[in-house]
Amino acid sequence: MLRYIRYIGAQAWQGFWRNPVMSIASTATVAGMLLLSSFFVIAQRGLDVSLNFLQSKVELYLELDDNAKPSDILALKTRIESDPSVDHVLYVSKDEALTRLKEVADKTGQVSLADVATNPLPASLEVKMRDAQQTKQLASMMRDEVGKGVVTDVVDNPSVVDKVLTITRVLSIGGISVLGLMLFVTLFVIVNTIRIAVHARRDEIEIMQLVGATDSFVRWPFIIEGVLVGIFGASIALLVLAASAPPVMGAISGFLTIVPIDFGPLFALALAGSVLGFALVIGAIGAVISVRSYLR
Amino acid sequence: MSTLTARNKASRGSDRRNVIVLEDVSKQYPNGTRALQDVSLAIPDGDFVFLVGASGAGKSTIIRLLTRAEAPTAGRIEVDGEDVGRLTRSHVPHLRRKLGVVFQDFKLLPAKTVYENVAFALQVTGHPDDEVRERTDVALELVGLSKRRDHYPDQLSGGEQQRTAIARALVGKPPIVVADEPTGNLDPVTSWEIIQLLSRINELGTTLVMATHNQEIVNAMRKRVVALEHGSIVRDQAQGGYQHA
Ligand SMILES: Nc1ncnc2c1ncn2[C@@H]1O[C@H](COP(=O)(O)OP(=O)(O)OP(=O)(O)O)[C@@H](O)[C@H]1O
Ligand SMILES: [Mg+2]
Repeated sequence: MLRYIRYIGAQAWQGFWRNPVMSIASTATVAGMLLLSSFFVIAQRGLDVSLNFLQSKVELYLELDDNAKPSDILALKTRIESDPSVDHVLYVSKDEALTRLKEVADKTGQVSLADVATNPLPASLEVKMRDAQQTKQLASMMRDEVGKGVVTDVVDNPSVVDKVLTITRVLSIGGISVLGLMLFVTLFVIVNTIRIAVHARRDEIEIMQLVGATDSFVRWPFIIEGVLVGIFGASIALLVLAASAPPVMGAISGFLTIVPIDFGPLFALALAGSVLGFALVIGAIGAVISVRSYLR
Repeated sequence: MSTLTARNKASRGSDRRNVIVLEDVSKQYPNGTRALQDVSLAIPDGDFVFLVGASGAGKSTIIRLLTRAEAPTAGRIEVDGEDVGRLTRSHVPHLRRKLGVVFQDFKLLPAKTVYENVAFALQVTGHPDDEVRERTDVALELVGLSKRRDHYPDQLSGGEQQRTAIARALVGKPPIVVADEPTGNLDPVTSWEIIQLLSRINELGTTLVMATHNQEIVNAMRKRVVALEHGSIVRDQAQGGYQHA
């Protein structure tokens, strides 16, 4: 059994290097496909994370008139809270708003606001949405309130959510079709690589069958050769990913400071695992397809 | 080769077992050619049988049916107790290990040495390394190629190439060897060498079936002759000649 495995391994290795140009070309194709897939998966995951973050943050700020009567403010608050798409409403006084701003300013080390004499910030109602999709509707309702003595301005950010949602949708549709195409191309390249390998050894295969070698004995070296193409392709893709991850992640988080993109340690592991597993499977499937058509 | 000798002694008994049986076998190729019609033939263990007949008579077809390179259209073929026509694909390798095959064109692998060509037959059927070495050495000794073991086929004469192919056919110790015009590409003297080698292998106990056009050899050997004409057996004669006596 061990001897058989050694034999298969040696044959597959020889087969891989018998036609190095073809083998390396198909390895590169596999690596390219895996890189592109990984890119889509990472981008998708990043957008998902930021979308969740944004959705949890979606708030409607109603800036309040300094002279508004507390009872009117309370009435408005109650009215908004009764809307089923609203999670809760928080009243932020002028003082609280200033304290918050000071905290943020201290943290980011920007302009010191310690000695602002008068408080320019308005009091506000912060509306936390339960259903982010309804933000727009509520915002336009609130805009009708502007100028009636309580609400002076309505600030919302659903346009960001809309954009992220659109990007996610486009990316998944585009990603899936590109991936499907890549999968097809990769399979095609592997099938042809192995077919050439089988063709180069057709005399040997004929003799093997003549002297009574089993089909699986004939087939396994080619399947392992396909798997080798997969493993090499996956290794290249993973190396490129590992090398490019720190700078790319740095650039992304520098760019999007507001969104804390944290994929978690399991994500990298799962990604590496699926890249490798996927490569193995596609290599083996490609080899089985090409050997099947040859072994009659 | 001690097992071969033992089998030989046993097979010289009065009622030898038939290792090859054809019962009303017909073969029609997919293109419609009727290559064999109702052929019946029994070959006892240890026999030496010549298949003769004009070109297209069906000699190679019989050999291809025995090795299950082709399946019969009708009738029953038995090789060493196995119903060849009914074999599923996964059982064909088992049959092939019982049949050493020799061809006119040798079918050696050019990138392998004499030794490697012979050892290959054992390696790909899963024999352990030390057994491969031992049995390959014995087979090369038997065909007289021990000194040529590290030569490549293109460094050998036709006769040496055919002896390499015979060693490969023998090395798995099959009870039967079938040869399709093994001397077809060889000069008369070399042909005789090959026939004498095959004859010796037969004397060691291996059943031998050989298709040939070589009248001189068939006439001189005085072995069993099965003559085919248009896909039918027209003569089956012990100690026969190429033509009707
Ligand atoms: N694969 C095939 N497909 C169709 N017809 C075939 C095939 N092989 C052989 N035949 C036909 O079957 C008949 C018997 O052929 P076969 O090869 O058995 O003859 P043979 O006795 O071996 O002849 P030769 O002495 O020339 O080798 C011939 O008519 C041949 O043309
Ligand atoms: Mg023929």
